[in-house]
Amino acid sequence: MIFRTTNPRTARPALRKVRTTTTLRPLRHRLDPARVEEIPFRTSDGVRLGLTRVDPGDRAPAHDRPAVLLLHGHTASADMFLLPETRNLVDALLDEGHEPWLLDWRGSCRLPYNETGGRYTYDDVALYDIPEAVAHIRTRIGDRSLFVVAHCIGSLTLSLSMTAGLVPGLAGVVSQGVFLTPKLAGRTSLRMTLAGELLKSRIDHIPVDFRKVGLRSKYTPLFALASRKATCPDPTCQILHNSAWGTGASLFVHEHLTDATHDRLADLLGPAPLWILPHLRRIELARTVVRWHDTDHRYRALPQNALDAAARIDTPVLLLAGSENGLWLDSQRLCRDVLARRQPQLDVTYTEIPGYGHLDTFLGRGAALDVFGHILDFLEERR
Amino acid sequence: MREVNENVSAGADQRATGEAIERGGVGLTVSDLLAKVTGSAPPAESAPATQDADELAAAIAAVAGRYVPAGHLSPDADFFDAGGTSVSAVELVSALQDELGVSLDLDEVFADARPVALAKGQPHLRATATAVPEVAGPVETRPTVVAARPDSAPSAAVPERADPVATWTTPQSAVATWTTPPPAVATWTTPPPAVATLTDSAPSTAAPERADPLAARPTRRPAVQTGPRSAAPSTALPETAAPVAPRPVPAPAAAVRPHNPPSAPTARPEDLTQILADLALADRLPFTASPDPVPPRRVLLTGATGFLGSHMLLDLLRHSDAHVHCLVRAADEEAATARLGEALKKYGLPWSSEVRRRVTMLPGDIRRPRLGLSDDLWNTLAHELDSIVGVAAAVDFLRGYQSLRTSNVLGALTLAELAATGRPKPLHHISSIAVFNEVGILSMGEDDPLAHIDRLVAGYDQTKWAAEVALRRARDHGLVVTALRPGGIGGHTRTGAYNAQDLSSGLISAFGRFRTVPAFRYLNAAPVDWVSRVAVAVVCEPDAWGFDYNLTGVPNTLDDVVGDMAFGGMHVRVHDWDEWRVDALARLAADPIPELAFLSRVLQSPTALKLCEATLKGPAATADRTTALVEALGLPPATRYDARAQLKTFERLAGDGLARLPQKDDQPYLWFSENTEGSVSPVAAGPGGTNPGGAISDEAISDEAISDGPIPDGASPDGASPGAATPGTPCPMSMSLTLSIASMHQLVTERRVDVRGEVICPALHPEPLTVARGDIWIRPEEGIPHRHGLRHQLLRCRLELTDPEGGRWWLEGHKYARARRDIWRQTRALTVRLGREGEPARLAGEVVVPADSYVRDQIDGIKVDPRLTSQEKRAAKLTWLAWFGLEMGRGLLGPFARAAADLLDLRRPQTPTEHHR
Repeated sequence: MIFRTTNPRTARPALRKVRTTTTLRPLRHRLDPARVEEIPFRTSDGVRLGLTRVDPGDRAPAHDRPAVLLLHGHTASADMFLLPETRNLVDALLDEGHEPWLLDWRGSCRLPYNETGGRYTYDDVALYDIPEAVAHIRTRIGDRSLFVVAHCIGSLTLSLSMTAGLVPGLAGVVSQGVFLTPKLAGRTSLRMTLAGELLKSRIDHIPVDFRKVGLRSKYTPLFALASRKATCPDPTCQILHNSAWGTGASLFVHEHLTDATHDRLADLLGPAPLWILPHLRRIELARTVVRWHDTDHRYRALPQNALDAAARIDTPVLLLAGSENGLWLDSQRLCRDVLARRQPQLDVTYTEIPGYGHLDTFLGRGAALDVFGHILDFLEERR
Repeated sequence: MREVNENVSAGADQRATGEAIERGGVGLTVSDLLAKVTGSAPPAESAPATQDADELAAAIAAVAGRYVPAGHLSPDADFFDAGGTSVSAVELVSALQDELGVSLDLDEVFADARPVALAKGQPHLRATATAVPEVAGPVETRPTVVAARPDSAPSAAVPERADPVATWTTPQSAVATWTTPPPAVATWTTPPPAVATLTDSAPSTAAPERADPLAARPTRRPAVQTGPRSAAPSTALPETAAPVAPRPVPAPAAAVRPHNPPSAPTARPEDLTQILADLALADRLPFTASPDPVPPRRVLLTGATGFLGSHMLLDLLRHSDAHVHCLVRAADEEAATARLGEALKKYGLPWSSEVRRRVTMLPGDIRRPRLGLSDDLWNTLAHELDSIVGVAAAVDFLRGYQSLRTSNVLGALTLAELAATGRPKPLHHISSIAVFNEVGILSMGEDDPLAHIDRLVAGYDQTKWAAEVALRRARDHGLVVTALRPGGIGGHTRTGAYNAQDLSSGLISAFGRFRTVPAFRYLNAAPVDWVSRVAVAVVCEPDAWGFDYNLTGVPNTLDDVVGDMAFGGMHVRVHDWDEWRVDALARLAADPIPELAFLSRVLQSPTALKLCEATLKGPAATADRTTALVEALGLPPATRYDARAQLKTFERLAGDGLARLPQKDDQPYLWFSENTEGSVSPVAAGPGGTNPGGAISDEAISDEAISDGPIPDGASPDGASPGAATPGTPCPMSMSLTLSIASMHQLVTERRVDVRGEVICPALHPEPLTVARGDIWIRPEEGIPHRHGLRHQLLRCRLELTDPEGGRWWLEGHKYARARRDIWRQTRALTVRLGREGEPARLAGEVVVPADSYVRDQIDGIKVDPRLTSQEKRAAKLTWLAWFGLEMGRGLLGPFARAAADLLDLRRPQTPTEHHR
């Protein structure tokens, strides 16, 4: 019954029908605004994305200043690297003389696509967003080296771009959470499939901010389910930490977030679209990154199976993962083992962050101490 | 946490200068006394004997100098403080015997390892040695000393005790005032009368002195036990002397002592003297106001290179915004940074620019006056710091009070002085549950009375007790002191980092190696990550300051430990403590393990044994205040340090050679046989060719090429390889293998089963080929297909074979799961390829476990280690079947799930209408 509840009187005006262009939600950071350059960036299939460059000032000579592209996870945004309340990755990169570039690919919560159903698959991200952003950055930085630090789905789609040979010549890649061999817990996978199949004719996304949907909504049962056995009373925290958008996984170690970050979770992570689930499911069940579009020849540049094409990876890769990753489990260790056996010529290292979960490797208050050191060391070695 | 010092002998000079510095005009400060007490006090009287002792001390110091890192040792510096190890102490004793003819007992060295102290024992021994020339070893010598003592206490013996007396001079008057009427207060001042006796009588009667420590062990127990109760000793002197006097007969004493060395339940009187003197130092601390109740911004941390300290450093950085000043023993800042970095890396902690930017190095030494810092720096710190965390301590269960006090007691007092100087700061002192480490103590709550100091025997226990009691006195000066008492600190639950010097590391390793545990009551141990997290939470929470906390976690009972080890596949047997000790020592002697040498030394040392005994027989520590704090702050609650939490540590212990995981050559935990039959046919060289060693990319057998359905025995798996364009005649092949696992740990971490047995393949060799090495991996690589497709890996088998002529061959086999209905066959059919070592595959085919033998061999035929009880055998068998069944089930399900998902994806994508947008 409650699924059918619609109340046209409380419906908010459909702003998106008024607007003709896509606008990005402003970034939240404590950098000097003059040093943050927002670049209007649109992919060749016509999707407006966000690309941001942070000027390191005179901390490093302009010619010896490696650029680092940061890719967020699905439903997160570039904000996850700019947390004003803790020492964030951009701070650490700036201090070490790197030039951070932040891409908001189409899965960003600063963009409206997740919520409003401008449908896409991860093929689009791998084919358009990442390669074109990299190409754009290259036009700006010339022959300076370019690294990529990628989180979660950002890293998964990057692996598809890399094995397709669309982003050649990177100086190094740091992948957090998952890379070529995604692995979910059986329970998570089952719940994802079941929930997706049951809900997909009724809703098209799972919100995370209870305040935006209200108590009397068809999402309430989801929040109620997510609150099962939860220790934190915050519904947003419950649906993320305790349930990961209804899949039952845990996105972070609760203790690692500062109170400020905890209260901002609804800003940092947006609603998850349900229509992405078939692609995600196909990838997860195959335990490798696979292409969705088999018959659409616009996507033929992408390999059918990224793991089979892993020989095309031409750059050192650092696989990072928290030991307590509740979503992707030990996918990264699996990836290291599989690549060591099948592609022994690749330069792949694996570093486990003891005690960390998935998101807290970037959002956690101790992330600078426990995680960024590994990233900075990797970048420094290959500078 | 025991640290190696580089320049203690140099520090002795600075102590002398430190002594000369007068501060504040209010008499002696802690540092002055520190300087006085640490051995530079002038020797008292009786010149000729002193000279003799001095010469000997210098000679001993010269020899001892060879065994410390600095290469030289001053006579009044402690051998261990200067970097001597337990091993070098053993060498030192034999060198002294050989070169100087000085006979020393190893325990004497551990009790007080200053050359002056060692030399003091010598004239006596020599004198008695002349009296009884036959006795050679120190063990035999001692009874004669005991016997000789009552009558042979001439003036020559006096000066030996001069040193403690001298150090006493300052506080003595104070002590004397309240001990002068001993009969009145005898009930509670029993130890002080003994002390008073010593100090007073030393110059005149001088009866007990050198012989006293020796006599103390067998004789003082009755004295002390009856002392408080009889309550009216006219003077303490007869009291202590009495038990000795009635036993002048040498023979019984000699007979008793060697057989009963650990029966020394009381502290040595000179140690008690020293402890009281050290406690009095707290009275010299300045008075101070209360600190501001705000979370700290600038913290001084000592012991950051130690096990707990390094974890606390990182937790301080993570959970506060504080900048941390680390006091590290090093020549300069650069060396200190390097040393800290090394320590953090050793314990698996991050060491990066992000850590360095929040840490300031203070090269110094906890054992030196004012921490060995310049006056400017000291004053700056006194005014800038807003919290002091004292973690540094010398942890050594063999050394005596004299040897450990500079680090553990005087160091703590120096920190208290810093805390009370300048801006008021809280002092957070890492104490230890060892303050309760008395045999027979009834409870170990946070506010329960500490142990009776006269019944603490091990020097480590005494120093931790003295430090905590001294700091309690400091509380009366207004200082806010928090005492944090960890019990055993176990390895990190996530990284497995452990403390190699810690007794528990050695004990856990020994439990696993010998498969026996001593009967204990409780192990009060908690993992280092929890201890460190809670300790840091106390430091950062002003409301928590100033109390005592037991950081002991949830105590493990004997049953818990036995159950845990059985859960890990290590079924242990429980022994009585003495039986276990003897057995463990015998095993360690028979098969020495260098990494466990320290354990056998501990198990042989009488004082350390007392410490072990008290630990193992003690009650469970309770920690109500800590529990309440943890709950209030929302920290992870203490959980039992169980098998899962210890797993990483155990793996790391095994990796470092302390513990030992079951291995392939051991008696297997569980085994069964597997027989397979099938056929192979030749593979033409070409695309099907393979390099045998490595990558799977050559896996040319495509999904579709595998024929469907059961293959009649002896028939060729047609088209098994594209390379087999012209398959030769199929040739029968069979394997009879024994599959075994050494432990469940091997299954869970490596998913690997060991294989032995033989392969009969006439096409390769008419005789059977023996398996030289064989492994089977269950669901390798999570079943990820070799190539894009639905053929998931279910099992991988790799055998190295030798034929009777010594030829070497390889066999690579796979079981695959596919979305087909022949599931039963998928679990039994092994696709194999064989070839000569270093060459591509020669034969390919398929072998199958016959359906009728599968259940017979692999379920009914499972054998389990015969040493286990039948209950344990059943549990082992069931665990294996459950694990294997689940893994196979998951593996078989994979392709079906993908096929099902593909079907679901055929449905037209639906477009829901979300009305509210």
